[in-house]
Amino acid sequence: MDFETFRRHGRGRHDYARDWKKRTGGKVVGTFCTYVPEEILAAGGVLPVRILGSHEPADDAEPYVFGMFCPFSRDCISQAIRGRYDYLDGTVLAQTCLHIRNTFWSWQKVNPGRFHYYMCFPIKVQSPRAVDYATGEMRAFRAAFEKWLGRPLADAQIRDAIRVCDENRALLEEIYGLRKDPHPPLTGREAMEMVLAGQLMDKREHNQLLRQALAALRTRRLERDPGVRLMIVGSEDDDTEFIGTTEELGCTIVVDEHCTGTRYFLNRTPDDPDPMRALARRYVGKPPCPSRDWDARTRTDRTLQLARDYNVQGALLVQQKFCDPHELDIPAIKSTLERNGIPTLFLEFDVTIPFGQFRTRIEAFLEMIRAEALF
Amino acid sequence: MLSCGIDVGARTVKVVVLENGRIRGRAIRVAGLQVEDDVAAALKEAAAGEVRTIVATGSGREAVKEARQRPTGITCAARGIHFLLPEARMVIDVGAEEGRAIQCEGGRALNFAVNEKCAAGAGTFIETMSRTLEIAVDGFGPLALQSTKLVPMNAQCAVFAESEVVSLIHEKTPKQDIARAVCDAMAGRIGSMCRRLAITPPVALVGGVAKNTAFVRALENDLKTDLTIPPDAEYVSAIGAALIAAEEH
Repeated sequence: MDFETFRRHGRGRHDYARDWKKRTGGKVVGTFCTYVPEEILAAGGVLPVRILGSHEPADDAEPYVFGMFCPFSRDCISQAIRGRYDYLDGTVLAQTCLHIRNTFWSWQKVNPGRFHYYMCFPIKVQSPRAVDYATGEMRAFRAAFEKWLGRPLADAQIRDAIRVCDENRALLEEIYGLRKDPHPPLTGREAMEMVLAGQLMDKREHNQLLRQALAALRTRRLERDPGVRLMIVGSEDDDTEFIGTTEELGCTIVVDEHCTGTRYFLNRTPDDPDPMRALARRYVGKPPCPSRDWDARTRTDRTLQLARDYNVQGALLVQQKFCDPHELDIPAIKSTLERNGIPTLFLEFDVTIPFGQFRTRIEAFLEMIRAEALF
Repeated sequence: MLSCGIDVGARTVKVVVLENGRIRGRAIRVAGLQVEDDVAAALKEAAAGEVRTIVATGSGREAVKEARQRPTGITCAARGIHFLLPEARMVIDVGAEEGRAIQCEGGRALNFAVNEKCAAGAGTFIETMSRTLEIAVDGFGPLALQSTKLVPMNAQCAVFAESEVVSLIHEKTPKQDIARAVCDAMAGRIGSMCRRLAITPPVALVGGVAKNTAFVRALENDLKTDLTIPPDAEYVSAIGAALIAAEEH
């Protein structure tokens, strides 16, 4: 198994999507946020592709997205302006933070006349009425999608797509489980590349790769010293370069709590006679984004549990600059982790990262953890 | 047996040589483009004898090829302050291009915060304002202490702060009041950074900016605590590195 495959698919995401269109004749739809039910798109033979940035200066975003909106939202719209997502036949947004909503609306100005759907997913997922509400929104989205597609979807097609997506989630969870080992058989960078590839590829093809990866990982032993076991907690984070460079400083990222990691794939679709309700229950019940985690802030305890399950020695709290939902959560997460003996280091991400400055802080953080371990 | 700590900072290279737990030599040089040459010159000046082990720290520590270890300035400052002021539980280090606060105990860093984004929280800010006010850097603090009037400065950024200073000059605001406003503004930045951690006295202040008496007073007012400035305040990280080098023997 060549683990570089996932990296290649991540880096060549646009080539993959264009090639997929050519060989299948299918349509490709971009998704904003992990609450878009990919299963409905896949059931219609459409490839869902998560819209991500490129980590290049996004100066051209200025007429569309306010300068104090998060770098991720600016980076994404910049991709549309540069024509990198021209192959998309549409975009779907599940109600999320204002910054990404702004990018979704701006996207329609850059790419008008395509299928652009705003799904009003409930913000308060803890509400006892959230599943009923989300079920109705799933049905509305399905109807709009069927109309655009020009044909109805059979429930059996949706159930089959649910099965494929759940297999994907189960495989990723199993691979993540191997990282609990004192000598994880894969680095944090490799794990992130795997999850990212799954949000950009056909799930059936991704599942095939994951099965091969899982078989190989069971006997794989990395030569490197894993060093300090860290977790990474935060907002959208697809910066594999940052993870890789950080791991070269004498640590391994063994788990994450962010929406390009565990929040994307943990939990499965429950059995339900109505596939729309089944999807609603899965998405309402998945590890929540801080913009939806009301009234109780359940993310704090979930993060602590992950830290304990993976025997974490320290946590990097990363946040996209100006990301209000995460700014709200970070103080509580920081204090909970530190109260439980897990030191934290806060890093604010921009479109590009000044790694030289981050490096000193991460090294000092690692020195602190190592010194603590000696006493 | 000589052990050497070299702190390659943004503006200066500091070298400290230890022998049997005592400082035997020290030197400071401005860091130029050929920092390796500056390191060699400072080392020659500080060390009268054969150095057995070198440990380098600071943002330019990679330039010291012969270093046995290259720990961060945070770890070294915690070690160094324990040597100079064992009772200190927090050290605030304000250098040319970075400010940081470190909670420490027994020579170990327990937690830290860094201001690396805002130039208005680093020594370069004072230098820039000195040029704008046409006064020597060394005279900045004593001049500011003569001020009896509080002039608020609101700018969040060194560049805009300079514009604000120019406006004050145009309004014929006395130089000492402007100098005080600059020190107060900078102390506010550093104070905010420190409050990201708990303030844990006794607090030591080190780094080149510790020489600015008006800044020290402003920071004491901001943090509502006394600050102790140890002798060799600029050498704290180099001392910490030298102590780590001594352990290598």
